[in-house]
Amino acid sequence: MSTTRAKPKKPTLKVTPSSRVMNVSTSGVLRVNHSSTYARSINASVSRKSFSLAADSKILDKSSVQTPKHTVQVFDENGKDVTPQPLYQPDPAAVMSKHSKIFASDTSGGTMSDFYSTAYQTTTNASFAGPFTRSVFGSSTVSRGSQSTMESMNEEIEDPSSKRDISISLSDVQVRREEVKELIKEEMLDDVVDRYLIESETLWLLHMPAVSVSVDSEEAESVKERNNLYMELCKNRMGNDKYVERSMQTFNGAPKTKEVQSEAITMVDAATTATTWDMYDSFRSAGLGEAALSPDTDKASVPEIVSNHRLDPTRAPERTMSVISTTSIASASSSRIEIEPFVVPSEDEPDPELVLQSEKFQQDLFVMERIILENIYQPKLAAYRQLPTLEDPDSVPKVVPTVVSRREESSLDEESTLTPALERLWSFSCELTSGHNVSSMAWNKRNPDLLAVGYGQFDFKDQKSGLICCWSLKNPTWPERVFTCESGVTTLDFSASNASQLAVGMHDGSIATYNVESREKTPVIDSSDCAHKHTSPVWQVRWIDHERGASGEDKGETLISVSADGRISKWFLRKGLDCIDLMKLKRTRNEKDKKQVGDKEKKSEALISRQAPGLCFDFHPTDSNIYIAGTEEGHIHKCSCSYNEQFLETYIAHKGPLYRITWSPFCSDVFLSCSSDWTIQLWRQDLFTPVLGFTSTQSAVYDVMWSPKWATVFGAVNEGRVEIWDLGASIQHFHHALVPLPSLDPTIVSLASPGVKLTSLLFATETDCILVGDSDGQVSIYQLKNLTVGEGTQVAALEDIIGSTLASQL
Amino acid sequence: MAEVEETLKRIQTHKGVIGTIVVNAEGIPIRTTLDNSTTVQYAGLLHQLTMKARSTVRDLDPQNDLTFLRIRPKKHEIMVAPDKEYLLIVIQNPSE
Repeated sequence: MSTTRAKPKKPTLKVTPSSRVMNVSTSGVLRVNHSSTYARSINASVSRKSFSLAADSKILDKSSVQTPKHTVQVFDENGKDVTPQPLYQPDPAAVMSKHSKIFASDTSGGTMSDFYSTAYQTTTNASFAGPFTRSVFGSSTVSRGSQSTMESMNEEIEDPSSKRDISISLSDVQVRREEVKELIKEEMLDDVVDRYLIESETLWLLHMPAVSVSVDSEEAESVKERNNLYMELCKNRMGNDKYVERSMQTFNGAPKTKEVQSEAITMVDAATTATTWDMYDSFRSAGLGEAALSPDTDKASVPEIVSNHRLDPTRAPERTMSVISTTSIASASSSRIEIEPFVVPSEDEPDPELVLQSEKFQQDLFVMERIILENIYQPKLAAYRQLPTLEDPDSVPKVVPTVVSRREESSLDEESTLTPALERLWSFSCELTSGHNVSSMAWNKRNPDLLAVGYGQFDFKDQKSGLICCWSLKNPTWPERVFTCESGVTTLDFSASNASQLAVGMHDGSIATYNVESREKTPVIDSSDCAHKHTSPVWQVRWIDHERGASGEDKGETLISVSADGRISKWFLRKGLDCIDLMKLKRTRNEKDKKQVGDKEKKSEALISRQAPGLCFDFHPTDSNIYIAGTEEGHIHKCSCSYNEQFLETYIAHKGPLYRITWSPFCSDVFLSCSSDWTIQLWRQDLFTPVLGFTSTQSAVYDVMWSPKWATVFGAVNEGRVEIWDLGASIQHFHHALVPLPSLDPTIVSLASPGVKLTSLLFATETDCILVGDSDGQVSIYQLKNLTVGEGTQVAALEDIIGSTLASQL
Repeated sequence: MAEVEETLKRIQTHKGVIGTIVVNAEGIPIRTTLDNSTTVQYAGLLHQLTMKARSTVRDLDPQNDLTFLRIRPKKHEIMVAPDKEYLLIVIQNPSE
């Protein structure tokens, strides 16, 4: 502890003549020695200190001589040294400490000890010459600001607690000081600290002796005498030789005018209106912390309170605009307005582009586009949604948000004898899709305004890359999502449980699922790695909801697909997409059929393929175990998920590949099938011959679909026309005529544009509209007008028809 | 970025759209299909109107904010999408 003491640090001493200091020090030492209340170490330290002081006395002398004037050291409340520094600071012989500012150590050991017993909260130590000698409660020593060292005394003086661990050496003290301090902090909590408050010595800061003296005081006489003497002196001065008047001339320097120019102080008026939201904003941002402490130089600083004069359009093109941004200080109500002039115009260049890239801008653009389109397509959309449209060219067509049933409207506005027709509303198309063949369409199960359309060629020749577009009703000119696939898309379906999942089957046999919510262009999962993937085009995929798991698998939705390699597979996710075969469509023997394949089969078992290419399937609406599948041979097989070896039934009637097969949503044992043999057949589950057949033209029927609203209505699309068949209407007429079966006419026929083939059909679920896709990439929306279907239960109507037909056949 | 440009282009080619203006917070046009004086005029006037509209909306309920503004004069319709940093203005004539 003591070794460092030897380092020549300037002791903190007052600026008294050295001798005095010496005296003091020695006296201090003496005093210390007399005190017995302290640890020996302290005494030792004190003594050592005094020794060092003595040793350093020479230095002291010098230093004290050098700074005669520095008498006072001033501390503020925190103990920081705010003494005005002397202008001349002599070179310290060896000054190491940086802590010179804070404390002045007392030379007198006596003071140290006394300091111990005292607790100084504030460390205002003023030192001066006088009271050193009597400084039992000593104060103060002088420390030069830059040179004073921390002596152990001082630090200990500062220590409020009465700890006695004082390191002796100076530098140690420095180090220890912190330790001591820390210790204090921890233990201080538990300790009972004694605090002694003692009156400090009077500190004289200014002493102006009085000029006048009272008559009663003892000095009065001497003062009077002196006054008298002085008066005589003044009198004598006139003619006295002792006093000579002398004059002097001072040199006046030549004045010189100097001009200084400063920048003009610009004043700007800023005003703000304290509106409700203004105050709300200030409160909220102040509550959140320093929201806008300092305005950024970046233009896009957050102006919390914007002055009303912020934007002056007439000066807009110039770059002299200044951004007024406000900063809110801690108190919410006060706000300080700062003005930042724009200095660098070049900063503006990247900023506008930033605006364009912001998310919000994209969103605004998106909304804006939709609004524009709404303006354009408003009548059509209103018709779609079955809202009344008022045509008034001068004013805004007000859309009354009441849903009027079409029949009412048609009876009010139009005569009921108008023939049912299809009215074309609009079509989804854009240049991306032109030239592609629409192969399939599917509505989103959760958002009925969202439509997914798959584009791909049916033939194996001229295969292009496929396209999937998700269209929204609100924007018929541009799809919301576009996905490109390597091979043509033949089928797609939205999942019901996970509404953003879209399953897609393609011409090369692969199956992929896309997540339409995200903006990614790649499928979520792909079947190209699967070992059992289909080797031929997948002609249909469907998400099927199994109520009870088949063979112990989990419930929920599974993806079923049928493909031209003759397999109906069920796909599930297990380390990637994998499938099991529900059914292999075997070629069935048909005694009537003279197909070559059949003959070959009779001859030998070696075949090109024992599988029949499957083209379509449909699961039973209520019993998810049963499904029917149509093959290229024209056979319809009824199968069950539980048996994957055999068909339950086979229905043979068609002479060509079946393109679509679908159960009626109303009657659970009626289904429709359409094929390339120009016919549509209506079957009942238990009969092996079709109940009704429909032919209209000599072209293959590509698609058929039951209407979701009326049990007796279905739509069909063949190459050149879209037809809506209403069994009720047709057959009613037919009944009256009592003519057996054929040649029913479709109720509504609409021709396609020339050169374009219609390829797919979809009914809209909630409105009376159908969507027709064609080979040019357009999906047209038609509204069914004036289709009056007979009242009465739909199911009953259909069954009646069937029953009557059967009856008539017999 | 390309999407934004595409969308802007598409908007400009829609039926009945007379002009599209994007100005930043200072009133400097970033993208416009009209001439400069018209743009500046629109930007300035609509900015003030938007401020007033926003102030009104927020005075009624400070937690609310203005998202879109549509003005339907006789001849055409002005649609403004305001934001702190920009103004998106489209002028359309829907009955064209």
